Amino acid sequence: MKLWNPGGFLKKKGLPAYMTENLTEELIRLENLVKIYDTGAIKVLGLKKINLTIRRGEFVAIMGQSGSGKSTLMNILGCLDRPTMGHYYLDGMDTASLTPNQLSEVRNRKIGFVFQSFNLIPRTSALRNVELPMTYAHQLSKKERRDRAMMLLERVGLGERYLHMPNELSGGQRQRVAIARALSNEPPLILADEPTGNLDTASSVEIMELFSKLHEEGATVVLVTHEEDIAAFTQRIIRFRDGQIISDERNGGKSTCS
Amino acid sequence: MLLENMAMAFSAIRVNKMRSILTMLGIVIGIGSVISIVSIGDTMRSLFADIYKDVGLTQGYVQVMSWEVDDWRQSDMFTLDEMEQVKEVFGPEIAYIDSSAGTSGEAVFGRNRVNFDYSGIDWNYQDVQPVTVVYGRYLNEGDILGRKCSAVMDVDSAMKLFGTENAVGKEFRTALNGEVLDFTVVGVYRKEMSPFQQLMMGNTGDRGSAYIPYTLLTWPNDYFDSLHVYAADGINMEDFYNRLTAYVARMKNRTVDQIYTYTALEEMDSVDQLMGGLSVAVGGIAAISLVVGGIGIMNIMLVSVTERTREIGIRKALGARTRDVLLQFLTESAILSAMGGILGIVIGAGLVSLGAAALQVQVVIKPSVVILAVGFSALVGIFFGLYPASKAANADPIDALRYE
Repeated sequence: MKLWNPGGFLKKKGLPAYMTENLTEELIRLENLVKIYDTGAIKVLGLKKINLTIRRGEFVAIMGQSGSGKSTLMNILGCLDRPTMGHYYLDGMDTASLTPNQLSEVRNRKIGFVFQSFNLIPRTSALRNVELPMTYAHQLSKKERRDRAMMLLERVGLGERYLHMPNELSGGQRQRVAIARALSNEPPLILADEPTGNLDTASSVEIMELFSKLHEEGATVVLVTHEEDIAAFTQRIIRFRDGQIISDERNGGKSTCS
Repeated sequence: MLLENMAMAFSAIRVNKMRSILTMLGIVIGIGSVISIVSIGDTMRSLFADIYKDVGLTQGYVQVMSWEVDDWRQSDMFTLDEMEQVKEVFGPEIAYIDSSAGTSGEAVFGRNRVNFDYSGIDWNYQDVQPVTVVYGRYLNEGDILGRKCSAVMDVDSAMKLFGTENAVGKEFRTALNGEVLDFTVVGVYRKEMSPFQQLMMGNTGDRGSAYIPYTLLTWPNDYFDSLHVYAADGINMEDFYNRLTAYVARMKNRTVDQIYTYTALEEMDSVDQLMGGLSVAVGGIAAISLVVGGIGIMNIMLVSVTERTREIGIRKALGARTRDVLLQFLTESAILSAMGGILGIVIGAGLVSLGAAALQVQVVIKPSVVILAVGFSALVGIFFGLYPASKAANADPIDALRYE
């Protein structure tokens, strides 16, 4: 059974217009995207006129030093932040016009987040953590949510540990719970912000193999990293410096682990 | 969603047990004192209702206010004929009526001298004041109409005067209104009373009491100053006594204001008034401690929101809307406060029950009051939780996620 299978379970009825599937070829399109941080005294240019397109099913790494603008871009791609100027089309829809609550819904249905520091809810079981996005989606019954969360935990190899609290799990296990959680609403886009930053090499490889598997099943995965060997798992590497794209190149494909 | 919020709230409260309990304290004291005073009030009310039921909740006295009128006249007194007239007019609405006559005197039996209180009654007094006749018989119509010197007394009085419970047939001498009479005991009765009733009725000490025909006490001129009435069960007391008062006023050619009507219901009202005054005082204390408790909850919820900023950020990133976060924290503060309320009820009701057990009294705690108290404490929690919860709900997801 597939880990990622969009539209496989979500009942699409009753969703507002901006939530309905557009199935454009491009999943992400950035047009002249500018982000300015206004700290009062000085204005910092975070992103300078970015133009970028990511098609469905791509496996993309965004690389750059700290301060290069890659985190700013991730926040905007994740609908956590809005651009100062320009447009961000996600799944064919302009996100600029959405209210904070609508952005919440977009994050809930269209984006699966995987963070560097895992960001599981503390003192809450793995199962409940995975259920959470489904809870906020208000689409499934309690039993359906539970069954699906169990299924996802089994897929990431943690079926036995569904009742464990985050602090009872290793870093790699926590990140796998986070991936199961990111998949729970079958979002078209999976955004991973340095997902292996806090993991040892072995766990990093496990996690990257999981992402590769998702990609093979057709998911669109965008990950931020500054490690070359992590980026080597992806198909396309976009490099940032000083808020601008300095290179955008195809990667030969999966590399073996070093 | 509500169930999930409640589960989350309980786990958050469990993590900070000590802090949560201390926070609840204000609510505990507030709700505890409200529950105590309300249940003490209800218990007192039911006790008095019990006592008056025994004494006769439907009874009342009607007379012309001789101490208020300037022109007192002989016709302000009642006669036996007038009493019969009242009885006829009101028919079955009157369960019992007598001349409300009573007196006291020294009863003499051999060398025994005991002060006795005598109540003049009609033969059917037992209908409204049931007693268990253990020896002999009750007063009958013959005793009343024949103005016989027959007496019925309780077992204690019989013991005091005759040194035996079975005093039927024994005679004693007493002076009624200056006339020396020889009475024959025709019956002895026993009346069961709860410990609290005995406490409230007071100890009769070395005095005795006996029922005698009321006709003896109206003798020789057959005038008496007030009617003693028991209304029938199940009729509107207020309306009945209003009509009786109006009737007596017309009969005596007085205004209604000049007729004094005293009913057992008024006695109940005075208990309510006493409890009402007490309730206002304790209610004030409760209100203050609820406000203080509410501020405590607001304070601890602000701490909780700050501590869990990162969690709020994660939830928002995963798609929680403003409303979802708001409801989560409101549920938590409502549950925190309601738990305080429940604890307050348990403690308050426990203390009242302990006190009641010491007095051997059946305590009254109304379910409606308990539900109201829990509901109100939850409302306090929601009110004081609004500000912290809206602070959490409106947090910026990026800032919240970055928070360490």
